[in-house]
Amino acid sequence: MKASIEREVPRGWPISPATVRAVLSGHGLLGLAFAAIIYLVCLTGTIAIFAPDLARWEQPGLPVVAGLDDRVLNRAVEEARRQAPAGTTLYVTLPTLAEPGGTIVAYSETFEKDWAIAADGSLVAHHMPFTDFLIDLHVALHLPHSIGGFVVGLTGVALLSSLISGILAHPRLLRDAFHLRLGGSRRLQEADWHNRLGIWALPFHFTIALTGALLGLSTIIVGVLAMLLYKGDTAQVYALFIERSPAVNAAPMPLPDIAPLLEEARRRAPGGYPRQMMIERAGQADARIAVASDRDHMLASQDMSIFDAQGRLVVDRHPQDLAVGTKILGGISQLHFGWFGGPLVRLGYGLLGLALCVVTSSGVTIWLARRRDKGRAVPLWERLWAAVIWGQPALLGLVALLALLAPEVGARWLLPLWLAGTMALLLVAGLLRTTPWAAIARPLRLAGALCFLSLAVLPLGLGTLWPAGMIGTSLVLLLLAVALVWPYRRRSPQSERARVSETTAP
Amino acid sequence: MPVFMIVWLTPVFLAAGAGGAGLLRRAWLDRRQDRPALLLGGWGLILIAALAGALVQGPVKGLALAVLMLSLGALLVVLAGAVRRSPRTTRERSLAPEPLEGPSRAWRGWLKALLAGPLGMTAAMAVAFCYSAWAPGDPRTRIVLGGLMMPILWGLAMTWTLADQKLLRATAVLAGTTIAGFGLAAVRGLL
Repeated sequence: MKASIEREVPRGWPISPATVRAVLSGHGLLGLAFAAIIYLVCLTGTIAIFAPDLARWEQPGLPVVAGLDDRVLNRAVEEARRQAPAGTTLYVTLPTLAEPGGTIVAYSETFEKDWAIAADGSLVAHHMPFTDFLIDLHVALHLPHSIGGFVVGLTGVALLSSLISGILAHPRLLRDAFHLRLGGSRRLQEADWHNRLGIWALPFHFTIALTGALLGLSTIIVGVLAMLLYKGDTAQVYALFIERSPAVNAAPMPLPDIAPLLEEARRRAPGGYPRQMMIERAGQADARIAVASDRDHMLASQDMSIFDAQGRLVVDRHPQDLAVGTKILGGISQLHFGWFGGPLVRLGYGLLGLALCVVTSSGVTIWLARRRDKGRAVPLWERLWAAVIWGQPALLGLVALLALLAPEVGARWLLPLWLAGTMALLLVAGLLRTTPWAAIARPLRLAGALCFLSLAVLPLGLGTLWPAGMIGTSLVLLLLAVALVWPYRRRSPQSERARVSETTAP
Repeated sequence: MPVFMIVWLTPVFLAAGAGGAGLLRRAWLDRRQDRPALLLGGWGLILIAALAGALVQGPVKGLALAVLMLSLGALLVVLAGAVRRSPRTTRERSLAPEPLEGPSRAWRGWLKALLAGPLGMTAAMAVAFCYSAWAPGDPRTRIVLGGLMMPILWGLAMTWTLADQKLLRATAVLAGTTIAGFGLAAVRGLL
């Protein structure tokens, strides 16, 4: 036995064979404890990467402009200010060639609304219930944000730990780095997918897990830091990263013309282009207009010019003025969501995000198959896992269909539908004692494929025109539908016999 | 401009990832002898592409883009080299190590969960915030680096406590780290 273990752990590996087995055991425990939630967060995160595309797909009539004249933007801001109550902060995103579509979000503690900016400066209200549902599910699992954020952050830490233990527990990592054996033993095939995708996408998966954990745990990190260093005053921690607000002066004062402010911001950030504006206390004497500019070779905005209500420059910061910590903080969200390089980067993120879903699902499948191989099968867990991994894509597809078919009524029912569907699937999978896991996976995969197929072609049926950008979304949906049913294509009688015999060995 | 640059860089990185991985594959397939030239060529190509990305698109954005596309390029080589086997019902033996298995008591499971969860978190926070409190440099940088350290340290604590069979040792180390780290950080807050 000892010789066999030593053969499995090549010479030069930094930890002993016994420790490798112990780490592998911990890797399995952690994976099993968090598998379902890691899978859900990864799946929703993979789809959320395409939020800009989904928003356009949900609302095909939405104006998507590649550029806006400063005067037109001024009209749009004035219009938003008229529609929002006094004191509301306006967040304006300017379009670029890589990320077309200008938006304005009006936000206060009692008011929230967002619009797309049309080419003439008029505003069209956003209505994207599925995209909103999906992002909230990914970021906070639809729980109160402090709790949900913590749970998602903890999931990120569990994923980080699984990546670390996964590397330590696989001494043959490099030797087997290119082995992908398909069609033989199912356990070996799943292990090959798990290890190959896990190792070659490791830098990406590590980055996503780390940034996700940090974003989720930020509230607790700031809270504890404030307790230790600033007598519990969290505002002092935030003040290190956010410009201090001026003294309150609610006297009415018209907002200055935006165009010269944008021009001044451009002049002060050579090579940069204004990307975002934050307009606070519009219409008051203490108003502030902050213009953040992007540069091509930077992940996030590092140029900031802030103007007062009379259009005077009061703060002017550029990359050389920023602390390294501020620069890192600015890039974390961009790096996590892949919203820094246009559609090609989003597509790359989507593919490696999908790889992370496969790594998670195959990890549990390997554990289940190992149990079965050793004569200690756990059919209940096999059925439940099949319901999770194939049920979630189908349910998310169903939720998207409801949002598309009944955008007004459906918005309220997306969360109850998803929640009830998830519960029902788990319950049914638990109760079907004599049904093999494959018989649960098959109808769920077919249902998922049907949902994706409907989503891909439904805009035609609804009589909406497809903007060019939406054709890509529909093509991806079609490919996903095909991928879900691919294993069920017609096979030779010999391979079909072998497949059927494997339905009892996941 | 940036969108065009990314359109140009994407196939270059994909090709570099596939080329580098292709050389590594050839090096590792030959199990009878070391192939240092192929290894050097493979890793060199990947490294040069990553550095080129950093130079052309900026150190963070360029590197992020390079890592993304190089990974995809390498995975293309893995997919291209996939071996299709005839379906069989007999079990093929895996050469991978088997996890440690044995009788386990419920209290050990709960204690491990406590060590990997809450105690691991507080120990990681203690070390990270001790760094934020005492390290030299700008406070914003110290806070952000401390924040980034915390999930990594927690993840390491999880890995260690779930693998270590000596629970008393793990408890002592994590509790000691928590008390010492938070104590030192709190001293800085009082100064």
